[in-house]
Amino acid sequence: MSGVSPPPNRRLATHRLVPLLLLTMFVWHAAAQQVVLPATPDSVKFAVIGDNGNGDRPEYEIATLMAQAHERFPFDRVIMLGDNIYGGQSASDMVKKFSQPYKVLLDEGVKFYASLGNHDDPGHVRYPPWNMNGERYYTYTVKNVRFFALDSNKVDQKELAWLEDALKAAQEDWKICYFHHPLYSDGGTHGSSVDVRVLFEPLFVKYGVNVVFSGHDHIYERLTPQKGIYYFVEGASGELRKGDTRPSAMTAKAFDEDRSFMLVEIGGHTLFFQTTSRAGVVVDSGTIERQGRR
Amino acid sequence: MSLRMRMSGLILDYLVALPLGCAAALLWANTFEESYYRFAHAAAFAVNDVGIVFFFALITKEVAEATIPGGALHPWRRAAMPVAAAMGSVAVSVALYLSFAHYVGEYMLEDGWVVACAVDIPGSYVVARMIFGRHPAVPFLLLLAISADAIGLACIAVLQPIGNPRPPIGLGFMVIAIYGAFALRRAGAKNFWLYLAGPGLLSWWALYEAGVHPALALVPIVPFFPHGRRDQGLFEEPAPQAHDTLTLFERWWRLPVEGVLFFFGLVNAGVPLHGLEAGSWGLPIAALGRPLGIVAAVGVARMLGLHLPARVGWRDILVVGAIASIGLVFALFFATAVMPPGTMLLELKMGALITLTGAVVAAIAARLLRVGRFAH
Repeated sequence: MSGVSPPPNRRLATHRLVPLLLLTMFVWHAAAQQVVLPATPDSVKFAVIGDNGNGDRPEYEIATLMAQAHERFPFDRVIMLGDNIYGGQSASDMVKKFSQPYKVLLDEGVKFYASLGNHDDPGHVRYPPWNMNGERYYTYTVKNVRFFALDSNKVDQKELAWLEDALKAAQEDWKICYFHHPLYSDGGTHGSSVDVRVLFEPLFVKYGVNVVFSGHDHIYERLTPQKGIYYFVEGASGELRKGDTRPSAMTAKAFDEDRSFMLVEIGGHTLFFQTTSRAGVVVDSGTIERQGRR
Repeated sequence: MSLRMRMSGLILDYLVALPLGCAAALLWANTFEESYYRFAHAAAFAVNDVGIVFFFALITKEVAEATIPGGALHPWRRAAMPVAAAMGSVAVSVALYLSFAHYVGEYMLEDGWVVACAVDIPGSYVVARMIFGRHPAVPFLLLLAISADAIGLACIAVLQPIGNPRPPIGLGFMVIAIYGAFALRRAGAKNFWLYLAGPGLLSWWALYEAGVHPALALVPIVPFFPHGRRDQGLFEEPAPQAHDTLTLFERWWRLPVEGVLFFFGLVNAGVPLHGLEAGSWGLPIAALGRPLGIVAAVGVARMLGLHLPARVGWRDILVVGAIASIGLVFALFFATAVMPPGTMLLELKMGALITLTGAVVAAIAARLLRVGRFAH
């Protein structure tokens, strides 16, 4: 028989492509479950999402990946960096944009601790699943880590005084702050919120804040330490501005091709982090050694 | 187009010092941003809570003088229609502002609704004089602007008090301050420093205690200053021979207020020209609704029996509405009064600056409608 067989070179190509395809599928599958963190039993484990609540398919896909990751990396809390709900803020919106996508995690007892963004309804400080207890800013402790959820939309003297007192009183090894507007960002749409930086940063430096998480720019970015503090931007857990990063000298790693979320683990004096894309690929990971007390 | 008026120092300062301050702020905030915001935050109290007291005092002086015989705002009963127009302006502006904030999903901006009430008194006056000359539409606009700002300030005082208000204590101090000013006036005191050092200071503290912005401290005190028998004209240079307390007060404070206006622009107008969200358009869009609100309110008021001033028609009212869309200084002031530092405040400030384009809209409207200087 002749005439129907592919030419020899084409046959060769097919011969090579099949195992390559299988290998890719295997790697893809493995990556979807991939957790590169140590997941030691006594460590503090949490996930980070920002600018997530649009109720669109990508938000659900990220939430599914988080649920899968939770099986291997049993984080007990998720910190939310603001713009937790876009558009309508009704009860049905809260279901569609929050409780439905994260249902698996909520059912497994994972707690969400929110900060609010400019698109959030200020009244949602009283939304029980976000554990804000009616406050725009609040603090809580998990083992040797003290978290500070702040309001960067409206930074009044009362908040600054509260923050200074809370930071001063904190005795934990790690001080982690999170809020919506990034003090440093290479996002092309918004960039650094310098007006907020001059208010928060002096306190962060003075009282030895270790790591800061923010959203607002719809990208993922890890920045080089600024005045000794590590900054992350995770504003792409639902929304995305593809190609929006404008790399600069302060960019350590950026990812703006797809949605993402972060997993963080703190054990002793080491913080481990990984950022996973919607494709299940770890796009950034590393460790941070706790800075000395300033 | 010439501005055929003997402009007072206040208006000249407004036209020179304030834009200079705003321009410097925009340049600084978009080049050396960190140093700018550090400066702006540090200087905000001195400028917005103390220095600007004297700008509002000079505005009050003009308004107080304008209500005496011969003044543009005399008698007060003329105010009924402009007050009605102001209510329409405020209602539509606030509704549009809130609708827009809701539409773009920036719910955090909703707390700034009161800024949509603000009408820039000196700015709108200058534009009105340029368009209308000495037409009765000008005092109509002024009364409208004063009323709209008064509504806004009342809303701030009642709904969004500052700090930890203690209204009874504030009210007590205010009664003493006003009585003090009244007693000085009755005793024939002519030195304005006496009014400032006693009742003025007490009034500042009273407002602070009451949770009302202390920038208005001299507003209830200035009307007690001894003044001339007849008004020289709103925002016009006082006669050289005038030596009444109000005139001396204006002459002494002209230069310091020039500095205050420059610093007010410098401290408050610095906004990033890139990176703000759609919420920045909330105030300009609210301002666009003002002519509609004013026309509607005037229509209702006429049905209820109120009258428009002579020679003021519907086309004039529309142009007055467009002029009243300028929020600038008053919108910046309202914004800093109701919104703490942060991105929301920057968006409001940007919106306040954009409302300056209301002057261009008003000029185009006047030309299209053949109003004022464009009538012939």
